[in-house]
Amino acid sequence: MTTWESVQEFLSAPTTWSGPDSIWARLGEHIWVSVAAVIIAGLLVLPLAVWLGHIRRGSGIATAVVNIGRAVPSFGILAIAFLVFVQMGAGVGEPWAVLVALIALAAPPMFTNTVAGIQAVEPATVESARGMGLTEREVLTGVELPLSTPLMVEGLRIAFVQVIATATLGALVAWGGLGRFIVDGFARQDMGMLIVGAVLVGLLAIAAELGMSALQRATTPRGTRTAR
Amino acid sequence: MRKPFRARAVGAILGLAVVATACGSGDGATEGDPIRIASFNFNESVIVAEIYAQGLEANGYTVERQLNLGAREVVKPALESGEIDLIPEYTGTVAGFLGVEASADSDVTWEAASAAWEEMGITLLAYSPAQDKNAYVVTGETAEEFSLTTVSDLQPVAGEMIFGGPPECPERPLCLQGLQDVYGLEFAEFVPLDVGGPITVTALEGGEIDVGLLFTTSGVIAANGWVSLEDDMGLNPAENIVPAIRTEVVDAYGDELVALLDSYSEALTTEDLTAMNARADLDQEDPALIAEEWLTTNGFIGT
Amino acid sequence: MSVVGQTSPLIDWDWIARNVDQIAERTWQHLSLTAISVGIGLVISVGLAIVALRWRWSYTPITWVTGLLYTIPSLALFALLVPVVGLNATNAVIALTSYTLLIIIRNLVAGIDGVPEAVLEAADGMGYTRRARFWRMEVPLALPVIVAGLRIATVTTVGLVTVTAVLGLGGYGYFILRGLNTFFWTQILVGVILSVVLATILDIGFLFVQRLLSPWARSAG
Repeated sequence: MTTWESVQEFLSAPTTWSGPDSIWARLGEHIWVSVAAVIIAGLLVLPLAVWLGHIRRGSGIATAVVNIGRAVPSFGILAIAFLVFVQMGAGVGEPWAVLVALIALAAPPMFTNTVAGIQAVEPATVESARGMGLTEREVLTGVELPLSTPLMVEGLRIAFVQVIATATLGALVAWGGLGRFIVDGFARQDMGMLIVGAVLVGLLAIAAELGMSALQRATTPRGTRTAR
Repeated sequence: MRKPFRARAVGAILGLAVVATACGSGDGATEGDPIRIASFNFNESVIVAEIYAQGLEANGYTVERQLNLGAREVVKPALESGEIDLIPEYTGTVAGFLGVEASADSDVTWEAASAAWEEMGITLLAYSPAQDKNAYVVTGETAEEFSLTTVSDLQPVAGEMIFGGPPECPERPLCLQGLQDVYGLEFAEFVPLDVGGPITVTALEGGEIDVGLLFTTSGVIAANGWVSLEDDMGLNPAENIVPAIRTEVVDAYGDELVALLDSYSEALTTEDLTAMNARADLDQEDPALIAEEWLTTNGFIGT
Repeated sequence: MSVVGQTSPLIDWDWIARNVDQIAERTWQHLSLTAISVGIGLVISVGLAIVALRWRWSYTPITWVTGLLYTIPSLALFALLVPVVGLNATNAVIALTSYTLLIIIRNLVAGIDGVPEAVLEAADGMGYTRRARFWRMEVPLALPVIVAGLRIATVTTVGLVTVTAVLGLGGYGYFILRGLNTFFWTQILVGVILSVVLATILDIGFLFVQRLLSPWARSAG
């Protein structure tokens, strides 16, 4: 059977479109875990990052965090999280290990970009805001945050796309997600499943990237937009 | 004047590329080429492959290991295309893969598989008395609750049960596909786990699955008081362990290589496999170490 | 209670001692996959960067395509290459190389673009030809940024190499996968820690080269 025939066979199978192994189910799993990871990571690191950025400290830490984050293999984090959860008594198919690993991966870029973003706001701008009588909180919410939004959203974008990519590896630790089609396709040498899974997750990642880029452009305060 | 960065980079890459191609696979074989031994992605396969590898190394052969390569769907093509040279196989399952009839009779199964694979340039050497068949396992509680002793006993209850096994299971004649065709079992759900490894064991322990695919030589079954359901309709054929080796390699190296591998096959028993698996799966011992001890105990290598 | 995994200590030093050979082998595999991929990536990127610098309009489409490749998850890219090249090192290298392109090209172009106008004018004033100006002035000044790109690409690749374990390769990823198959902590930790160590060594190495190449920044740094 050629690859194309295999793809057609997979796409015409009923289990592909309904049930726990269906594209919808796997897509849903993949998206909710990715979104949840990014949101939770944000809740965890953003307050600290915003504060550090505001008091203009911690850029060294921010760079270190991103370097460490880049050096640690996401596959490894996933494996460790999985084993920890299993040994704590969690079931093997549950998403918690994957979620925790993804949070750990989403945090560094969001942290670093937020710190950098706020610190990138011209000190002169901040000073003049203070000079106009704004309280520290107003300076933060009225000046620094809006101006640093592009960089913050960029951090969000990097995190989100990375999380979607790593969620694919979740299938290697007995979880679901779109990676399931790839891993099972490999194991069964079912080219149709393999290709469809790969294309789907690729499209999802690209959609996330494009969507977040658009968000980045949309949230860039008009006055700071430079020609690309 | 220093060379432009680019030229140096190109030079380095070409050098690495040469090294990379030198390590590539080839057709044909000559004496002196390293023998590339691979295994499937579960402990028993790694252990037996290590037995071959260490035994051959002790006798002066150069060996390259590609253990834990993957499922048969991945490894078999690699063997047939010459990317690897030798793997430990199971007569019954591979006969199925080759599309020939396997039976409970070891000789018949071996001959059928052997003849089919010869045509593709793979030789099956002498088979071992050691066998390892697929085991369909339930916990002691489940067996009691539904009065299960044979696989047929699952017929009335399979529809409410979850089956866990390796991802390739649904397409395997000795796994879900066979259970469907021969026993008429339709499970409520299939959960892809690993190849009779700790993930499947954990899932069965935790009640995430009701029936798990393990192996007749898995040590956990006895250790946990689990029940390996009897294959009353004879789905599983003989599954003797046998070295599958590229014919060209046999021709290049000759009788001495064959004699060595035959000697290991002969000495290997099902009890050996069960004991070694228990050490690897339960005690987390290193397959290479286990293999070394087996070779030593059986007098194939020195201390 | 789980029978499996109960007796697995975190680090089994005996296992490590017995498997030094394998660890060395996997180190070599990890290094070569990284080096070959980044190397080929550099060559391709240089070509594309030259095109982008010469014909400015091409920069956007080039960034789009390399960006697309970068966004596709590694496992998916390996999968997509299977019907084309099979399940082997070629598959791994093609995918790994693709991931380096966006980063390196961006830094190549940014590096050259970052050379101050004043320097270019001075070079012209001193009578340099365009070619000489490019190779003798622009490239050396751009090198720190270029090397930064190489640095990031290399560290990223080191992490991605672990995923090639699904293709039967993996470098240190082999230990991670194997440890996962057997619930064996030592292997997983060895795989992860060595991966981080390798990435860090390469990172520091490139940083050092970066500093060396920008003597003018040293007093400030």
